[in-house]
Amino acid sequence: MGANQKLRRRTVWLLIVILAVGFGAVITRLAFLQLVQGEELQRRAVEQQLADTPISAKRGTIYDTNGKILAQSASVWRVVMAPANFDSGEEGDEQRAYVAKRLAEILSLDEEELLEDTKQNTYYVSVKRRIESTEKDQIIELQNELGEKYQKAGVISLLDDYKRYYPYSDLASSVIGFTGSEDQGLWGVEYQYNDYLAGTPGRIISAQNGISTEMPFDYNQNIGAIDGSSLVLTIDETVQSIVEKYMKQGVIDNDVHERGVCIVMDVNTGEILAMASVNGFDLNDPFTINEDQKKEVDAIDVEYLIKHDYIEEDKDPYKLSETEKNELISKAKAEAESAALARNWRNKAISDTYYPGSVFKMVTLSMALQEGVVNSSSRFGCSGAYQLYEDTIHCHNTAGHGTQTYQECLYNSCNPGFIQIGQLVGKTKFWEYYQAFGFSDKTGIDLPGESDDQFFVHDGVEGNMLDTDLAVASFGQNFSITPIQMITAASAVANGGKIVQPHVVKQILDSEGNVVKNTSTETKRQVISESVSKEMCQILEENATTGSGKNGYVAGYRVGGKTGTSEKLIDVNDDGADDYIASFCGFAPANNPQYAALVFFDAPLGGNYYGSAVAAPVFASIMSEVLPYLEVVAQYTDEEMSNIDAAAGSYTGMSVEDAVTAVEGDGFYATVKGEGSTVLSQNPMTGAAIPSGGTIVLYTDDSSTAEKVTVPNLIGYGPSEVNEIAAYSGLNVSVTGTVSSSDSVSIGQSVAEGTEVSPGTVITVTFSGNSIAD
Amino acid sequence: MSTIENTSRRRVQNYERERKASTKRGRRKINFSLLNIGKGIDMPFILLIFVLLAIGITMMFSASYPVAYYEIGDSYYYLKRQLLFAAIGLVIMVAVSFVDYHYYHRFAAVILGVSYFALLLVLVLPSQEGGVHRWIGFGAFGIQASEISKFAIILFMAHWGSRYYDRMGTLKYGVLPGAAVFLSTAILLLFEPHYSCIVIIGILTVVMMFVSGIKIKWLAIGAGVLAALILLLWATGMLTYAMERMDGWGQALNEDLDRDMWNSTWQTRNSLYAIGSGGLFGLGLGQSRQKYLYLPEPQNDFIFAIVCEELGLVGAVIILMIFALLVWRGVIISLRARDRFGKLLGIGLTTHIGLQVVLNILVITDWLPNTGISLPFFSYGGSSLLSLMFEMGVILAVSRTSNIEKS
Repeated sequence: MGANQKLRRRTVWLLIVILAVGFGAVITRLAFLQLVQGEELQRRAVEQQLADTPISAKRGTIYDTNGKILAQSASVWRVVMAPANFDSGEEGDEQRAYVAKRLAEILSLDEEELLEDTKQNTYYVSVKRRIESTEKDQIIELQNELGEKYQKAGVISLLDDYKRYYPYSDLASSVIGFTGSEDQGLWGVEYQYNDYLAGTPGRIISAQNGISTEMPFDYNQNIGAIDGSSLVLTIDETVQSIVEKYMKQGVIDNDVHERGVCIVMDVNTGEILAMASVNGFDLNDPFTINEDQKKEVDAIDVEYLIKHDYIEEDKDPYKLSETEKNELISKAKAEAESAALARNWRNKAISDTYYPGSVFKMVTLSMALQEGVVNSSSRFGCSGAYQLYEDTIHCHNTAGHGTQTYQECLYNSCNPGFIQIGQLVGKTKFWEYYQAFGFSDKTGIDLPGESDDQFFVHDGVEGNMLDTDLAVASFGQNFSITPIQMITAASAVANGGKIVQPHVVKQILDSEGNVVKNTSTETKRQVISESVSKEMCQILEENATTGSGKNGYVAGYRVGGKTGTSEKLIDVNDDGADDYIASFCGFAPANNPQYAALVFFDAPLGGNYYGSAVAAPVFASIMSEVLPYLEVVAQYTDEEMSNIDAAAGSYTGMSVEDAVTAVEGDGFYATVKGEGSTVLSQNPMTGAAIPSGGTIVLYTDDSSTAEKVTVPNLIGYGPSEVNEIAAYSGLNVSVTGTVSSSDSVSIGQSVAEGTEVSPGTVITVTFSGNSIAD
Repeated sequence: MSTIENTSRRRVQNYERERKASTKRGRRKINFSLLNIGKGIDMPFILLIFVLLAIGITMMFSASYPVAYYEIGDSYYYLKRQLLFAAIGLVIMVAVSFVDYHYYHRFAAVILGVSYFALLLVLVLPSQEGGVHRWIGFGAFGIQASEISKFAIILFMAHWGSRYYDRMGTLKYGVLPGAAVFLSTAILLLFEPHYSCIVIIGILTVVMMFVSGIKIKWLAIGAGVLAALILLLWATGMLTYAMERMDGWGQALNEDLDRDMWNSTWQTRNSLYAIGSGGLFGLGLGQSRQKYLYLPEPQNDFIFAIVCEELGLVGAVIILMIFALLVWRGVIISLRARDRFGKLLGIGLTTHIGLQVVLNILVITDWLPNTGISLPFFSYGGSSLLSLMFEMGVILAVSRTSNIEKS
């Protein structure tokens, strides 16, 4: 083979190698990268390009049911830096130092850390979020300075940002919840509906703002932020405010150690109108504990360390070195502070489990009626205690209630009576109804932190009850449920037997205000029949009128309800005595239930701990304001009609005869003082509230106005006696408090005994139920 | 007005000249009249050069304008310069195409000497950015010493292979000179340092030996030695270490990369992002996002990543096909060259182009470490473009005398 042939052949081989192997490999590699890995690489490229400048999406607004704003995002600014734009070398170092120094001044940040940030080789470093307009103006000034000094105006830029405001600060705090530093929901509805509220942040691709705004070409790769959806809650700000006002007062009055809970629910739809865990926290400042808690934390000392096992056993707590002691104290303080925060945030209405106590008797009796195991001829004896095998179970009335019908068992809140009713129901049925009433599952309310119940477990089988378990379960002891489960069950008792889904969000609106989603009423199941429900309503109404629940009665409304006092089996205040939960669960109107409310005080230490004394009056106060606000039609009894206040008319200037006719026409009695023929003045004044049938004094001459009467003692009497005494003295009485039945007793008067007042003056007298029952 | 007589006389003269040129040491005289520029030149080859240059400058402009704007303040900065270089390069190419390539035959040893001198000179000259000694400055322009070396070695190997074509089967003539030239150059390049150039020169030397007709067994032995060396390095763990040290080679997409590896992998990583973003059809001419300050120096070695992003796999393959056609045409020209020296010279230079293209793309796709291999006709840079155009001119000079149909 000639040299030329060899060369030709080898050259052909070479060409094949270059083209087939070399170019072949290159094209294969490119195809792999662009087609197989392309998507992933593109994703990462886009991620890197987009990560540069996010545009915050405006978080949705949270409205109450009437459109009042509960949470809102307002425009603020975010400061970002593009440190890659600094020059290199000494000039760059000078620029970095200057920027770090000025930013530290303006934004009160750490200069060292900022200096580190300026050394990064990126086009996007978030310096500070949520700056207000004063800081923003200073940043703009800094931009101008940088532009003049170094032609580096684009190093610092401002982006839109949002800050969350809660106009009602601590109202419904555990329901609304709050957001974190990145605008993400952390608690309450803010957390639960974060995906809706958050929206989708937009992006600007770096080239557009990697440097400055003076770009010669518009890169036009903006992806706008999609603002978050808004929520309309079922919570009614007015109802919630009323609830919190009385609950806070109740917490103070009864020295409640572990906060109070109140839920107001629409029994037919499951809408939660109010849900309060008082005291809550300021939503605008959720990470700060309140003053009292601060004091407690500050007071932590060695004694506290000993008591809470902070000191190792082999060490003498009084011989700790100063540093060791301080270390332990600061650790204890930090832990106490975070515990206090967790306590403030806790939504007790859904997170706490408690023994429902006697409130549960409405459920037990509903089961018995539905099963038909009690009837009008059933009788249940109570000798003050009930013997079950070796256990003796006491009734709160140690003298015993004697022989009772099942209705009387409830009116008396008689434990032995209910043990017998429970035995008639039986363990299997009891467990079935327990489940059917929804106690064995979470209610599924749209809030975070709902707890599970704890029912009896034997041999690993839930619901496997012993005889003693059934006995105590009949009156609501030794198993734990959440308040939201209790009110859901009570709503079923009242609404005709339907277990409805409780919820706090009524509607979701998009950023333009269009309805995205409506929450509809969801009925899970029928647990008792309508007729049983009707009978239960009657029994509970009677109970709230004359029975153990009468302190929960609300004048003018047909209320049904049941008190409860349950042992906590935990001594919260270390006084050696068990603490209690006082609760009341009721609804109105009893003939057509619309709203249910549960009032719950955890560990009242003010002396009284019975549900009837602590919770029922607060329930009554709340309902007496809430029901008129919710436009529930009042249905007064005749006795109550006489206590309804009316406004005095204007009678001055009329002739005496005309005036008397007018006064009587308005439903009052007239007393004429003086000899004149024309009415010169009157008491009470025009517009003053006096009870219908009250007296209006008409003065016809000057001398008669000087006449005074002495206010008598009005405390310690029943309503009719008070009215008599007042009428005798020529005074008017306006009645507040519980004036439901014959044993209501006056406990306060607005004008002290012995004061000289004009005749006809209105004195406000407060009444209270006088017996204390479970 | 020429008469038939004149025409025939000129033909005779031409023939005489040609005959003389081919007999008298293969030289011939060429008419330098401007009208004769295209005469004898291979039109397909020059057409491919123009096409590549046009696409290359367009893409260089597209890739460079954000960087030019942000860093220099003039979007057209690189374009203007590259156009100037291209114009000068075309003049050089045409001029060189007129030069009888046999002159190089005579001066092969001298040019090799110049190459050694240049390699030594850069070592004593002040270093450039990154502490490397690669450039020799001529006023505003500079040239890489290795550019001279590559041409010098191709030239020397062609010279040697054609002169001792009948003894290439021996160790003394076939293997040792090439090995000596390669190793001496490689050692000097180690001092610069310029590893990628060592690789290119090594491959070119082997290719030239192979085509010149050395015994395959020597190549096999060489490959065996290389494999043993790599195995040894691998066994002692030095290979892994070297790979790790090689600018994070192969780790560009590693999510949890050490912070200090970021800078070294940044360019490759963003190159891969750019290539991947292109997909099948690309984002469109001028639509690259990665050139917006993500991919550093997108106008230089990594320009093809931006090409891939903007034109997609389809565009990239079309451009590679044009390169392949250029290589193919270059080989055809070389094989039809009048003498063995022309053949070897043409094959060496053509291989050089093909090799640069393949290695460049293997670098930007992270199959080779990031070591600075430019893409012919595309990458920005005066010295590389001018030396490329010079080499094209030499191939064209070969084509003037080769036996291919002239259009």
